[in-house]
Amino acid sequence: MKCIVSAAACMLAVTLGMHATPAAAQLGPERPLGSPNTQTPPNIQVLPNSQVEVAYVEPGNAGFRPIYDKLKRRQVLEQLRVFLSPLRLPRKLLVKIDQCGAVTSPYKPGGPVTICYEYIDQIERLAPAEAPPGSPPREVMVVGAFVQAVLHETARAVFDVLEVPVWGRESDAADKLAAFIMMQFGKDVALRTFVGTAWFFEASERTWTGNDFSDVASPEAQRFYNYLCMAYGGDPATFKFVVDNNLLPARRAQRCAGEYQEVRYAFLKTIMPNVDQNLMKQVQAMEVLKSDDGR
Amino acid sequence: MKTITGAALAVAAIWAGMGATPAPAQQSPDLLRNSKIVIDYIDPRIAKSEQTLARLQKRQVLEELAQFLSPLRLPRVLRIRTKSCFQANAFYVPSEWSINLCYEYLEWLDNIAPKQTTREGYTRGDVIIGGYIDAVLHEMGHALFDILSVPVFGREEDAADQISGFIMLQFGKDVARTTIKGAAYSYAMSNNPRTRTEFSDEHGTSGQRFFNYLCLAYGGEPAGFKDFVDRGALPKPRADNCPIEYQQVRRAFAKTILPFVDQDMMKQVQARQWLKPDETK
Repeated sequence: MKCIVSAAACMLAVTLGMHATPAAAQLGPERPLGSPNTQTPPNIQVLPNSQVEVAYVEPGNAGFRPIYDKLKRRQVLEQLRVFLSPLRLPRKLLVKIDQCGAVTSPYKPGGPVTICYEYIDQIERLAPAEAPPGSPPREVMVVGAFVQAVLHETARAVFDVLEVPVWGRESDAADKLAAFIMMQFGKDVALRTFVGTAWFFEASERTWTGNDFSDVASPEAQRFYNYLCMAYGGDPATFKFVVDNNLLPARRAQRCAGEYQEVRYAFLKTIMPNVDQNLMKQVQAMEVLKSDDGR
Repeated sequence: MKTITGAALAVAAIWAGMGATPAPAQQSPDLLRNSKIVIDYIDPRIAKSEQTLARLQKRQVLEELAQFLSPLRLPRVLRIRTKSCFQANAFYVPSEWSINLCYEYLEWLDNIAPKQTTREGYTRGDVIIGGYIDAVLHEMGHALFDILSVPVFGREEDAADQISGFIMLQFGKDVARTTIKGAAYSYAMSNNPRTRTEFSDEHGTSGQRFFNYLCLAYGGEPAGFKDFVDRGALPKPRADNCPIEYQQVRRAFAKTILPFVDQDMMKQVQARQWLKPDETK
């Protein structure tokens, strides 16, 4: 098979094809945070989190208009409000999609959470319109990378609002929390989101030298490995292929179960006390990603 | 683990202070005792490390380290030992609750330390003492995370660096300067990844670690470390974020470690002079 995007993306795509089945059928037996109620119909009405406010800010740049239109039509932020419903937040949190003048607008204490049109635009530009044979479908790239961005920025807000003690670089901690969340919705969601995330970090990778390393954000390659490590550590059976194909070097892979458990423990200790268990089961049973998302 | 690219508390004025007698106790050392900390100088397996051992013992590095750490209320016995490892490293071994400090790491620092003070102001003493203290404190970080069941969300290697850097800043300006500079220099002398695969290491790159230490220091003590920003060693865009980064670490420390610290003993430890001026030259 000819792999256009990269060897890594190719391997991820092949495996995605092997595993992909309708989302609802994929709720596996192993579920670190308790089993979802499988009796619940996938389209159950869960009320949105009333502490989360959302806004689609109209972009000044006409080029971003199609993104604005699409996200609004897809009710992406409304879905996020539902997704966050189990989280008991002591104060309001604004999540907005806005034009930032930069690719990211990192979260500052007090908020808001900002997802930049520029970032989504970068995802859309990097993802080929027609997925070449061997690369993940465009839909997986776009949705996975977008979900990662939203979860990453939201994770930082959760640390702030819940006053979670954060050891390690905060943006890496946000990546780990995002990755942990991506693992809680069954194999299909995990595969799609991790494949899209890994694809994006590889596709957007740049060369880091000298003062580049002073950046608060971590190199794309580091984030690529951090995400794959969380995936493999959390579900070695599903993600064995990333080790078998050397996308994740064996030396790092052997530590990943420990890394995943460390994040799981931190989650249980610091965030879980603020999570409504029943609502969480309902959200876990929802179809959080639809197969036509991203179109 | 402290790789050579990355490095481990304490006390240590070893090389520069060679020949120096142990610091006279300003407080009665009896008050700084902790039965949960057990130290051991293990005989080296390599002849040339005999000298390293002798220097460490003469300076009573582990004895002072044990006093320095005495305010910690530990639920387990923590063993801290110096030994031969056949690599320049230091590591925490969870199955033994032990911190292992390799003679080779100190010898490596001795090797990379400048013979003369550099243009940027790094002294030989900074690098040997600060670098060694960093190695010890970094491993102490891993030990504390494990023994005290501390929740760690980020990369644990960076978290251990944060513990090390944060503690360095709690003992006055002189200790802070020597130790932060020593740690930073040891990373400046190590390589960044040369292949993509090397980014898979669970440690940050040497460059990231260098800037992380300077950032924590500048965030905690803007006046004391402003010179690093002025001369561009810590780039402005990162420097602007450093107060937030320091506060993040301070809060994490207050919430997860401080409950296990005896406050009265801590005050005594902080009041004591750990490094003598002639050791940092």
